[in-house]
Amino acid sequence: MLTLFDHEYLDLDNLSDDLTAIRVENLSLQFGTKHVLENISMRVPKNRVTAFIGQSGCGKSTLISAFNRMNDLNPHCRYQGQIFIGQRDITHKKQNVSELRTQVGMVFQRPNPFPMSIYDNVCYGLKLQGIKVRRQLDDAVESALKDAALWKEVKDRLFDSAAILSGGQQQRLVIARALALKPDILLLDEPTSALDPLTTLYIEELIAELKSRCTIIIVTHNMQQAARVSDYTAFLHQGRLIEYSDSDTLFTTPQQKQTEDYITGRYG
Amino acid sequence: MRQVAFNTHISGKFNTELENLRNSVMTMGGEVEQQLIDTLKAIRLNHSGLAEKVALNDLRINSMEIQIDQECMRIIAKRHPTASDLRLVMIISKAITDIERMGDEIERMARLVTKQKIPQSESVKSSMLSIGEKVVAMMRGTFDAFARQDDNAALEVYDQDNRIDSEYKLLLAYIVKEMENSSESMQDWLEILWALRSLERVGDRCKNICEYVVTLARGEDIRHTPLENLSQTLENLE
Amino acid sequence: MISNLLKRLLSSGQRQAFFIGAGAFFTGVLLLAMVSIVMLIAARGGGYFWPKEVQRVEYISPQGQARVVFGQIESEYQQEDTRVYWLYYSDAASPFAHQSLIEESWMQSARPAKNAARIALKDGRVMLAEPVSVMLPDDAPVSILRLDAVRDKVATIEQRIAELRENVLSDIHLQLTELDSRQVSDAAPARARLNQAFDKWHAQVLALESQRDSYRMQVRLADGYETTLPLNTLYSIDYTSRLSFAEKLTVAVKRVGRFLSESPKQANTAGGVFPALFGTVLMVFLMTIIVAPFGVMAAVYLNEYAADTTLTSVIRICVSNMAGVPSIVYGVFGLGFFIYGVGGSLDALFFRDTLPAPTMGTPGVFWAALTMAILTLPVVIVATEEGLRNVPQDLKAGSYALGATKAETVWHTILPMASPGIMTGVILAIARAAGEVAPLMLVGAVKFAPNLPIDGEFPYLHLERQFMHLGVLIYDGAFHSQTDAKSASMMFAACLLLLVVVFILNILAVLLRSRLRRRYEKR
Repeated sequence: MLTLFDHEYLDLDNLSDDLTAIRVENLSLQFGTKHVLENISMRVPKNRVTAFIGQSGCGKSTLISAFNRMNDLNPHCRYQGQIFIGQRDITHKKQNVSELRTQVGMVFQRPNPFPMSIYDNVCYGLKLQGIKVRRQLDDAVESALKDAALWKEVKDRLFDSAAILSGGQQQRLVIARALALKPDILLLDEPTSALDPLTTLYIEELIAELKSRCTIIIVTHNMQQAARVSDYTAFLHQGRLIEYSDSDTLFTTPQQKQTEDYITGRYG
Repeated sequence: MRQVAFNTHISGKFNTELENLRNSVMTMGGEVEQQLIDTLKAIRLNHSGLAEKVALNDLRINSMEIQIDQECMRIIAKRHPTASDLRLVMIISKAITDIERMGDEIERMARLVTKQKIPQSESVKSSMLSIGEKVVAMMRGTFDAFARQDDNAALEVYDQDNRIDSEYKLLLAYIVKEMENSSESMQDWLEILWALRSLERVGDRCKNICEYVVTLARGEDIRHTPLENLSQTLENLE
Repeated sequence: MISNLLKRLLSSGQRQAFFIGAGAFFTGVLLLAMVSIVMLIAARGGGYFWPKEVQRVEYISPQGQARVVFGQIESEYQQEDTRVYWLYYSDAASPFAHQSLIEESWMQSARPAKNAARIALKDGRVMLAEPVSVMLPDDAPVSILRLDAVRDKVATIEQRIAELRENVLSDIHLQLTELDSRQVSDAAPARARLNQAFDKWHAQVLALESQRDSYRMQVRLADGYETTLPLNTLYSIDYTSRLSFAEKLTVAVKRVGRFLSESPKQANTAGGVFPALFGTVLMVFLMTIIVAPFGVMAAVYLNEYAADTTLTSVIRICVSNMAGVPSIVYGVFGLGFFIYGVGGSLDALFFRDTLPAPTMGTPGVFWAALTMAILTLPVVIVATEEGLRNVPQDLKAGSYALGATKAETVWHTILPMASPGIMTGVILAIARAAGEVAPLMLVGAVKFAPNLPIDGEFPYLHLERQFMHLGVLIYDGAFHSQTDAKSASMMFAACLLLLVVVFILNILAVLLRSRLRRRYEKR
């Protein structure tokens, strides 16, 4: 039979290991006595954009922060279960957190460039890794800025302060800063909620281009955004993973009533 | 109304999706057009094998309608199209229904051949084929206008339907005369009339699609304008 | 109750106007107070440099004697019904200028004396007199117009004496000391030869000196008393009554220059304040070097590393309270702990051979700087903590997300961002330390220090030396001034200088801070 449209739908429950970027096994997480995540198991596919949606406080930011152990900054955070990236369990005590974070980059809600030049911003992570050779840094800065679609706009003012850039440019700079470390996974925590709609579209387009380079996980309050950018979507509610499937299915024919209520705006 | 290019979105993927959607409609249209040509050929040559193939091929067209419909829904759910994008998706969603119906009408005509109910009268048959050729031309014009989103071309094609209609009426009158001194059974005549009516309906469906093209290009709905004229007329009568 | 009363009496518009008016009034009073402080100190301090005209004053003393003197009227004020003048003058009884109170009713006349000059001597004393003639060694008077030429000649002799002393005599001294250390007997021929040479050169120096001293200037006071002054003791001669405004300005600028570059004379009542200025700046500088890293590190620890427990809160409260402890307490602490405790122990450990004379266990510039550092530490900690708190959380998170450790984040991100806050703390610390007097007198600041804490002698920076401080100089001068209005005006000048120093240090720090702020806070 003739197929007019070519859409790929991976079977997320039985995803093979070489297509899996992150495997979460029975992850539960508490801040003090407050249970934030309860028994989450999922496989995030490699080189795809996966969106996490849900209400504020549903634990979606906490979940992606678990992927690069940013939750460790909170001394009251405790978790059970495992998260595998490749073959490693990153929740293990012996995991080198700094090294993990260079492989799992993260971009936050507000553009947060450091108060330095554009060049130094992109170099920040590389310099921490001890790379000092100027040529090497130059090349890394150029390729990271090109990957983040910022090179053309800033190549003549690399040594100006990053503060002069617009919000969207700053956010792309922050993405470039993460990309300079050549991460396998890029976590985006509401990356466009502080930006205007048009800039948002540019960032989304950038995300679509970046997925050939790394696995992208995006947390967003904006359901339309999740629908636009993501290949797969996970809906979380009160710390539980309610539904996780390809975005086409989730946004046209969700299987769970809670998902349906949330994405159609019927939440009580 | 300014013509809007559909491939200028920031999102490259959205561009591709819309382009694919439009192309799929063109593919479906082309398929239906081929169906009609094949049917006419089958009638002319009384080739029942070809007619059988047309009837089978209608399943493909049905499947295409379902796929395009799903894609439209997917695009609306995921891309939240607005303004010209929204009109495009909505109109495609409607147009494919018409195209699919065209397919069904054509299938009915093809059945004429498989059931060996082709009119014996050469004059009826040739008139029928001549109307058929006009419908093919109209269909081609319609899909061209759709592909180029050319509202003027669509309006021109729209007018062609009047000629088809008048030819159809002439042929009907002729057939009524023919029926009186014909040996064929009433059953067969009915089949022929149904087939002719299907052919005429295909023209009407093309007209609908032309209306959609104008709506898409101009952003205003020109359907059922006669109804407004009617209410005007009614007011005048009082 | 008062607010109810106000509500009843006044409409809301009136109340608003009342509060705005009251606010403006208090602000105005504050401004007036500040302006008057600055104006007073600037006027009195600046007046010290402005050359006053030498006048020929005739007055009748309370004993009924008519007297004629050259004098300068230092200041005047109203005392009950009469005007009273502080007259700074020279007379036959004491030719070097001194001052006394003259009432207006005693005054016969006062007019500018064009021929009289203000003759300042190198030792700081001043004579208001009319230069008459120059005396050459053969007692032949020549015209006063040749004064400059003769002074040049004296200067040449002076230079020659200095050369002989420096090159020849000190050389011989060194050789003699060497012989002493080798315990060569007095009768040894080498020693005899050296002694001979020494006697010869010494005699020559003495001859030159007596020749130099015989160049003199004859001066006459208003009452006809004549005396001579050796030319080499002359420092400056200003005919202040002849000067135009521009010339007076030049003289004033010159005096400011001398005030800043010379040592005090006549027990801090004349001369310059250079050692005090230098001591103040050095002490503040040392203190900044000590307090900045300590304060910043303590604040970083409290804010970034220490767990948020009751103990941390208690420490914070203690730190804030330490800012309110009277400064003399810190002085006593510095004396008891640093000087006697730490310094005494250091002496016992490393300088045993010089005991009981203390080396480190005595007030000195380092202990003073350390004490001031302890005193200003709370200020720096509080301001730095404020700056650290203002570093946005997402910036820290951004740094961690790039694989930075806590220390790397603190060093590369948090500290640069907090630097304006740190600078604020350091500015406050500097202002406080520069103006402090009481604790410094206990831990190292003195009225008069023979040497600067920095000189050309190894190890160049002598941290154990005592030093002079502007605040202490002012305090000391203020006690003198109870009888001596002249040195009081010098204290005003020192006050002005202290203000200017603190002001300049603040301006520098504020400029630096705003630069940092532009760089790190533009978001």
